[in-house]
Amino acid sequence: MRDFRQASIFVTPAAIIAICISALPLLYIFYTSVEGPDFSLGSYISIIKSTLFHRTLSTTMVIAVSSSALSLLIGYVIALHLARQPAKRRAFLLILVLLPFWTSVLVKCYAFTIILGRTGIINSALDAISGGQLSMSLLLNRTGVLIGMTNYLTPFVVFPVLASLLAIDPAVYRSASIMGARPARIFWTVTLPMSVPGIIAALASVFVMALSFFIIPALLGGPRDAMLSNLVDFYTREALDWNTAAAIGMILLGMTLIVVGTVYARNRRAAL
Amino acid sequence: MSEKIKDPIQARLSRFGTLLATLGYLFLLAPIFVVVPIAFGPPGDLNFPPEEFSVELFRIFFSSSDWTDPVLMSAKVSVITTIVVLLTAVPAAYGVARYNFPGKSLISGLMMSSLVVPTIVTALGLYLYFSYLRITGSTFALVLGHVIYTTPYVMVMIIAGIQKLDRNLEFGAQLMGASAMRMFFTVVLPQLVPSLIAAGLFAFLISFDEVVIAWFLSGSDTVTLPVKMFSSIRWEISPVIAAVSTLLTAMSLVVSLIVAGLRKSTPMAG
Repeated sequence: MRDFRQASIFVTPAAIIAICISALPLLYIFYTSVEGPDFSLGSYISIIKSTLFHRTLSTTMVIAVSSSALSLLIGYVIALHLARQPAKRRAFLLILVLLPFWTSVLVKCYAFTIILGRTGIINSALDAISGGQLSMSLLLNRTGVLIGMTNYLTPFVVFPVLASLLAIDPAVYRSASIMGARPARIFWTVTLPMSVPGIIAALASVFVMALSFFIIPALLGGPRDAMLSNLVDFYTREALDWNTAAAIGMILLGMTLIVVGTVYARNRRAAL
Repeated sequence: MSEKIKDPIQARLSRFGTLLATLGYLFLLAPIFVVVPIAFGPPGDLNFPPEEFSVELFRIFFSSSDWTDPVLMSAKVSVITTIVVLLTAVPAAYGVARYNFPGKSLISGLMMSSLVVPTIVTALGLYLYFSYLRITGSTFALVLGHVIYTTPYVMVMIIAGIQKLDRNLEFGAQLMGASAMRMFFTVVLPQLVPSLIAAGLFAFLISFDEVVIAWFLSGSDTVTLPVKMFSSIRWEISPVIAAVSTLLTAMSLVVSLIVAGLRKSTPMAG
């Protein structure tokens, strides 16, 4: 009881904020999504019937899956390189990952509009090489969104994968190579399987982040690259249809919780 | 892993890996490599690399209230956010790290919820809720939104710091008759100073850069810098944004270096 009294002194202010500013708004989204006291599923039913929602949902899934896969690929290559460096050089090279990690998403979007735009760096270079024959449409389409999102997500892959690569006992590599395994075989039979926990942690967090991306599709994508978040924004701020916005928000939250819950349950099982 | 390479195939593979990784680093750093030179180029054209050196873009940035007002707004919101989040989340982190009480996992789960809940959902919830309370568009609303957004980061860093402290000092203080409060202020907090500085700097940086919640909650006279950047990248690509971006990147770099330095100088710090 004394414990409870002491703990409550420390926890109460933050708990009040968490209840009033975290929990109540979430409940209020739910309340709005079922149209208040009416408790009607009308918004959900009209969403399920809407082709705009269907198209946006499949766009969201396609973009989230492909940007997670791309960032896993690039992040894994970087993590593998970092894991093979001596500690001092690794600390330096990590800065090259940490600096982009801390760079504002708006800075990245602005830079990619300059790099990828119609008169941007890549297209000017192509223009100069080919004498005006070649140009690529890289911005305000799917390519732009994928490049921007992969760039944003890659550091989130590097950290967990690097942690699991560094946790592998070097003796395992030595014994594999003493037994005559070639480097490629060591990679496929030792490195890759033993880094699976890092890969799963990375993929889960990156996929969850990718599901609810808002800024990058809004700035680097075209109208056909709108994701669920952009739909939430559209219904809230432009269509002023708060019930629909809230219902989409609940669906997005549900999708996120399913992914997080699955990974959490899997980790619990693995720990037992 | 860092064994001597003797095998020619292995050497070639390792060179190939380094090449791929270098391309990866370049891809990650490309935005910074592009933005900084443009910021130091002349205004008016977006040629890369710029043909002459100039600080004109920074002068335009600092002399137009279109840009300095949002900067001041962001500074105000993130300073108040940092103060509020330190005052509430640091004691809460101590309570969660050191005590067991009924409902602990529910309460700490709620405090950490903005890590899992998609930011767009947090922003939507705050927007609807604050519209109902009629406070959308106020500085107060922005601060509350950023407080719950930064709380999990501060909690995680402070809890890590607390777990490295010797708990016997706290028991000792209480045995000698200090109240829980007095013990917290005179024994715990002084040992946590490096963690407090790191957490405060990160809270400031996260709040200063936050755009989604601010996009939903800011009104016409409470436009923060990220919101201003978001709408100007959307509607017109002004080269002034390169100067803003360079300043933001420099700020992130300074904060991360300070935090890295704190960690190195005090191995006890989280």
